[in-house]
Amino acid sequence: MGSQKRIAKELSELVESPPEGIIVELADEANLYKWKVFMEGPEGSPYQGGKFIVNLTLPTEYPFKPPTVSFGTKIYHPNVTNDEKGSMCLGMLRADEWKPSSKIAAVLQFARQLLQEPMPDDAIEGRIAEQYKNDRKRYDEIAKEWTRKWAVSE
Amino acid sequence: MSASTATASASLSDCPRPGRLRRFSQLRAYTQNLSHSSPGHRSRNSLSSRVPWLSPSSSGPESPTQQVGNSTTPGPESDQPALSRYTSAPTASSHGLGVDTQTSSAESSRSTPPNEPVQPSPNVMARLRSASAVQGRPPPTDAPDSTGAIPADAAQVTTVTSKKATIRFFPYQDTFQSSRPSLPFVPIARTLPSESSVIRVGRYSERDGIPIPNPTEPSDAPVGFKSKVVSRKHCEFIYSNGQWHIKDVGSSSGTFLNHMRLSQPNMVSRLYSIKDGDIVQLGIDFRGGEEMIFRCVRIRIECNRSWQQQPNEFNKNTESLIKNLGKGDGADYSGCRECSICLGSVLRPYQCLFMAACAHVWHYKCISRLLHSPDYPMFQCPNCRAFTDLSAEVDDTNDVVENDEGKAPTEATPTNDAAESASGTQPAVTAQATTNGAEEQQPTPLEPHTEEPDFVTDVENLHLQDDNDEASGSGIDMEDGRSSDSQAPSTSHDDLARSATISIPGFQPTQPLNVPAARQPHLRADTPGRSETSDDNPLTPRNDSGPLAFDGRAGMR
Repeated sequence: MGSQKRIAKELSELVESPPEGIIVELADEANLYKWKVFMEGPEGSPYQGGKFIVNLTLPTEYPFKPPTVSFGTKIYHPNVTNDEKGSMCLGMLRADEWKPSSKIAAVLQFARQLLQEPMPDDAIEGRIAEQYKNDRKRYDEIAKEWTRKWAVSE
Repeated sequence: MSASTATASASLSDCPRPGRLRRFSQLRAYTQNLSHSSPGHRSRNSLSSRVPWLSPSSSGPESPTQQVGNSTTPGPESDQPALSRYTSAPTASSHGLGVDTQTSSAESSRSTPPNEPVQPSPNVMARLRSASAVQGRPPPTDAPDSTGAIPADAAQVTTVTSKKATIRFFPYQDTFQSSRPSLPFVPIARTLPSESSVIRVGRYSERDGIPIPNPTEPSDAPVGFKSKVVSRKHCEFIYSNGQWHIKDVGSSSGTFLNHMRLSQPNMVSRLYSIKDGDIVQLGIDFRGGEEMIFRCVRIRIECNRSWQQQPNEFNKNTESLIKNLGKGDGADYSGCRECSICLGSVLRPYQCLFMAACAHVWHYKCISRLLHSPDYPMFQCPNCRAFTDLSAEVDDTNDVVENDEGKAPTEATPTNDAAESASGTQPAVTAQATTNGAEEQQPTPLEPHTEEPDFVTDVENLHLQDDNDEASGSGIDMEDGRSSDSQAPSTSHDDLARSATISIPGFQPTQPLNVPAARQPHLRADTPGRSETSDDNPLTPRNDSGPLAFDGRAGMR
């Protein structure tokens, strides 16, 4: 599989010099295609202080096909589905937007940026997006509460 | 030995300017000299560089000979009427004989009228002879010059203005919002002949004659699609103030710009500006689009990409990196980029690479998936999303010359010498080939360092021969035949000859022409009979390595 070399390279780069607030490891040492990412809630966002588990799955056709990103931790966010899957919708991960030259590091940083600034116009959870736009305070409250409930480990 | 080759070698040998990095441009410079006899005016921006295209054809085969004696008078053609321009062209051509190249090019650029556009945008897409600016040139003056003798190519050149608006239409498949494919069509390119022209888009009609999807000259020929959902007059593309616009001219089923309908049915819309990458849809699938004739047309617009086809920081860097390939361990890979597919380093020796027209480079192995996709021959650069038609004719015009340095470095000299010996003294070459054969026991280090000039000479010779043909017809043809004859004997030694050439840099000055000679047969070494080719076999291919050589060149524009 030609992609393994690239994935291994990206992984080692990410492990050696992780981007801010992002820690990367393999979910299963034997499988390069499933990554477990620990993402800290960005400062200033309602997710601050939380540590979110993000599952990153790479297709075997990577880098020609985009990876998929899902939240393993429940999160109250307009762009993350509010179910067990926690799928995240990233513009750059859509098949027609994806470029093989995009790197996983960029994907993860983009995902974290999305925690900071949700994109309600490109939302999966319409209700949360509505709230984010119209009742920002309430949204902040719930997001903080959820973060405390699910993403803060004692 | 033909007069023209002799002339060229004479003038080039006097050329003072060495320059490793300028080989490509030098080669183009060289060929231009040769066939168009105006070395002083190669500057890509200067009006005068157009003139040379005319002179060889009109002055006939004897013109090169005249040039030898001429002393250098850099021709200030641009201000002069066509006739005097014509006469001054040969004069100017004695480049190198006593006058510094730079002086002449400087002069020529000075003589360029101030209203001359400085940045011509070569319309690579339209495969135009995107030569230097012609705008200062009144078209009528071309006519007397071009009567009869001018090859089609040259005639074409005269009509092309480089500062033209070009737009390309590519089929676009919206695989995510629509399960049905849209109407397939070949990519269409248009370059406006004048700013006021309009590209009309409508239903294809036999009455309009056979449409040419990609005319080689500026054209505002209407664009037709064979679909019933496209109205006869559907929409128009208009270029004004440096910006492309689209307008629905009263189509019945609508024109959509990025999914937005421009106007009500049968209503004319206002102008909407479009940009590179926009999607334009004509009509809506009718009857489910089951039949091809009922499918809508989705067009991906490509415009304003001309900056990518001119020398810029990026592709110059790529060029220099490619030159690095030949330097072995001493090469400087500091500016080396990575292959965006495997994230490994590209541009190490002994890797097969693919370079797109946008000068992005990948390992062939990595990019091949995208090359041999269902969309073939369309290729979209995964880095910059530029579309390329991989099956398009190779544009081997040499008009765009980097003029940041003096031209025709010394390396040209050996080539010419060799050219002389090769074409003139056929036995000598054969002997040399044999010598190469004798060299065979040598271990072949295959140093890339020596391979690079090898490649370069290769390219140079290709151009040389091409232009010879073009310039002075049959005389050169004969010579061609002879030189190919002389190449033939080396076939049997091809491997050895090649390795020998590579391993002995010392041979370079005396025999660069042999390199390609040995190389061409090398490519087809397995062809039986080739190896026995005797001296009178005129069939040795002349341009075997052509596409390889040109590919790279085209990309670096």
